Amino acid sequence: MMTGLGATVARAGRRLLSSLPALFGVLVFTFLLMRVLPGDPAVFFASGPNAGKEEIEQIRKQMGLDKSVPEQLVFYLSDIGRGNLGRSMMTGQPVLKDLRERLPASLELTFTALLIALLAAVPLGVVAALKPGSLVDHGVRLFCALGVCVPTFVSGLLLIYVFYYLLGLAPDPTGRIDVFTSLPPQRTGFLSVDFLLAGDIEGWWAACKQLILPALSMALFVIAPLARITRASMLVSLGSDFVRTARSVGLSWQKVVVTYALRNAILPVITIAGIVFSTMLGANVLVEKVFSWPGVASYALDALLSSDYAPVQGFVLLMAGIFVLVNLVVDVCYGIADPRVSIG
Amino acid sequence: MRFVSFRPASSVLATAALLLVAAAPSHAQTRAETLRYVTGASVNTLDPNIPGSTRESFALSMSTYDRLVAFGRKQLSGKWVFDLDKITGELAESYDVSPDGLKLTFRLRKDAKFQDGSPVTAEDVKWSLDRCVTAPILGKAQLLTGSLTSADQFKVIDPLTIEVTLPKPDKLALPNLATVYPLIINSKVAKEHATPEDPWATAWLKEHTAGSGAYVIESFKPGEQVIIKRNEDWNRGSPDKPAFFKRVIVQSVPEPATRANLVERGDADLVVDLQASDVQSLEAKGKLKVISTPQYNSITFVSMNNQIPPFDNVNVRRAVAFALPYEDMFKAALFGRGAPLFGATWPDGKPLNGIYPFQAPVKTDLDKAREYLKAAGLPEGFSTTFSFNVGQASTAEPMAALVKESLAKIGIKVDIQKLPDAQMSTQINEKKLPLFTEGIVAWLPSTDYFYRNFYTGNQRWNYSSINNPELAAIAQEARFEPDKAKYEEDGRKLNAIHFSEMPQIPLWQPNQDAVMASSIEGYTYEFHRQVDYRDVSRK
Repeated sequence: MMTGLGATVARAGRRLLSSLPALFGVLVFTFLLMRVLPGDPAVFFASGPNAGKEEIEQIRKQMGLDKSVPEQLVFYLSDIGRGNLGRSMMTGQPVLKDLRERLPASLELTFTALLIALLAAVPLGVVAALKPGSLVDHGVRLFCALGVCVPTFVSGLLLIYVFYYLLGLAPDPTGRIDVFTSLPPQRTGFLSVDFLLAGDIEGWWAACKQLILPALSMALFVIAPLARITRASMLVSLGSDFVRTARSVGLSWQKVVVTYALRNAILPVITIAGIVFSTMLGANVLVEKVFSWPGVASYALDALLSSDYAPVQGFVLLMAGIFVLVNLVVDVCYGIADPRVSIG
Repeated sequence: MRFVSFRPASSVLATAALLLVAAAPSHAQTRAETLRYVTGASVNTLDPNIPGSTRESFALSMSTYDRLVAFGRKQLSGKWVFDLDKITGELAESYDVSPDGLKLTFRLRKDAKFQDGSPVTAEDVKWSLDRCVTAPILGKAQLLTGSLTSADQFKVIDPLTIEVTLPKPDKLALPNLATVYPLIINSKVAKEHATPEDPWATAWLKEHTAGSGAYVIESFKPGEQVIIKRNEDWNRGSPDKPAFFKRVIVQSVPEPATRANLVERGDADLVVDLQASDVQSLEAKGKLKVISTPQYNSITFVSMNNQIPPFDNVNVRRAVAFALPYEDMFKAALFGRGAPLFGATWPDGKPLNGIYPFQAPVKTDLDKAREYLKAAGLPEGFSTTFSFNVGQASTAEPMAALVKESLAKIGIKVDIQKLPDAQMSTQINEKKLPLFTEGIVAWLPSTDYFYRNFYTGNQRWNYSSINNPELAAIAQEARFEPDKAKYEEDGRKLNAIHFSEMPQIPLWQPNQDAVMASSIEGYTYEFHRQVDYRDVSRK
């Protein structure tokens, strides 16, 4: 068992190492892409009244844009090597600090949304697969289609309208915590966890209430792919020989469906969940905007609109890093779901 | 085969419902003494002088720092607006202007203290003003417009008196000292944080304050929120009284619909950047107070590049001016919320006065537009692009569609270009856009200031790239014209040139729609177009 674990860790390490060239490629590519995009950040940020040529030149110098692109790249890479992602013009803060503060917000939201989505999608998919073509199957399909057709910002605004504006049940949709609540000491950056660690149940409750609507509107959007995949692979699995055998020997339906069919059908669901997670983290910008959620995606979008190079580059690098990690985790999960698979 | 139980899914829904039902905790005691202001923008620096600082940062600095002087306020058709002509002391107890207009003498208040308790001295004032004209910061370009360019101009007479010398009697010198940038910093504190590379402590002041203002920073999260608490010793607004609100929360809420919901539900107290459609519906419901002030120091216009064909031909520019669907645009983009700058009648064909911005005698007249096109030698029309930036999309997008439709009627084929903000400013700076819409604002809205900054020189703010020596000469002369009647005459001449040359087409002055809880009082439209938190109180 120990050797098995050790081997897994070693293999995971090798996987991580082998992803370094890809990360480097992403780094250089984003750097060049930002320079190729039209739009001069210096001009944009020098837009106070009376800001003239001199101000523009000064900002250009401050951002290092007065040097040639290869020179800039070398400076950038050496900065990255020292763990410095540059400074954002937009917030005036080091990018690393911004990302460190905002990433937990995005992760907390995405994890919660994914959890809600999985808890809803897997049972829905299983139910649909058990009675293909039935009313229930069509119902699930309709629900999924609706979820996918309604863009997240529409469902977000709708949820706000109903639960905050009309019913007054939800707290105001402005970020992670009510402005009047004092924050717990920061340990993990996940407010719901930090409040629990600090033993502040009221605070935890407040944080959860802020979290539920944005997480729900994100979950609605990704329930569809997860439920469809669950249904499809459950159908295959239910029609296979071992399930027929299990049924014929008279095992309870629970044993047949959950232990045999679902366990075998779950692999593609894990894969999709991994992909969905990475996409959600980067693409939840609309939800973050609607709920004023201080996450990384809205940060990157604002930076992109104002051609603020450093935050965009930092964001892409972060996303690439997370993608590598998520893939690794998915592979490890494979091994747990199906011992025949080993990551290599 | 039986159905699998629905339990997991339904229990999720039940939990969700349960979480939502929980009652909101009450904060009644502190709530009334707290102002919660929501905005789509955000504060990115505590020193508004830092290049790239946002308008919210400007507004915040008005409350955290004092200046030597401040603008008074006046009523304009029943609404409070800042008064450029009434300058009152802020840190200065009184000031004198010498008869020749070359010397300004400020006597400081004896009771003025910085937030750390140390007194405000003339040394601090000199250091701060020196910083503003010397350090590579935004204040430099602003103070230049008031002939304040060098540290030699500021002289300490005694610990409570400072003298400012001007090379010419510049009308804008004094108002410039009331703008955002020349804030008075506690020089002892700032110097402690100065470094040889950064002698003016710009890096430190970006994240810290060292002022004497009405509010102290309690917490600052760039891009999210700033919380400030009252400085109990501050008495620059009304004697012996600090600002009204004990705490002010400035919170970024990017989604305009959410901001509207917040203020309607009473969770936010004040917002100034709602969409025109939301303002209209909130006003109709009548629960909230809506104060709409035409932004009389700002203008939205359609600009044409006077240097590139076909817009280098004055008749083409006139044709466009008579082909724009003004009324429709005004309704579609602003819901009529603003002051129109079109549709005037000039009985003798001359400007009614010398004030810029002026209402021009242009209206939609397609026959006239066609005649002008013919006179320009382009009776068949031409193709061009119409650009606007993403940040203005909510007003510019409906406008663009109407411009396209209307210009098509006289044969001008328009492609609409929606550009990211940074790209738009770059293209404007490089003078590459033929036809576009933009807005300008002047903190110190005087006629010569507008013409000098927005209609002369090969620089970014000369949007239309007009190069008219006569206009430039008159504007330059008017700057130092002491005689009011002559200044007015210069203004009339400038406006006449503007109308005949038609370098760009002013459309309107959009309203600043301040929507607030009905208990909020004292809101004033300020030159920086944001809320001065010191103005407002709760009934």
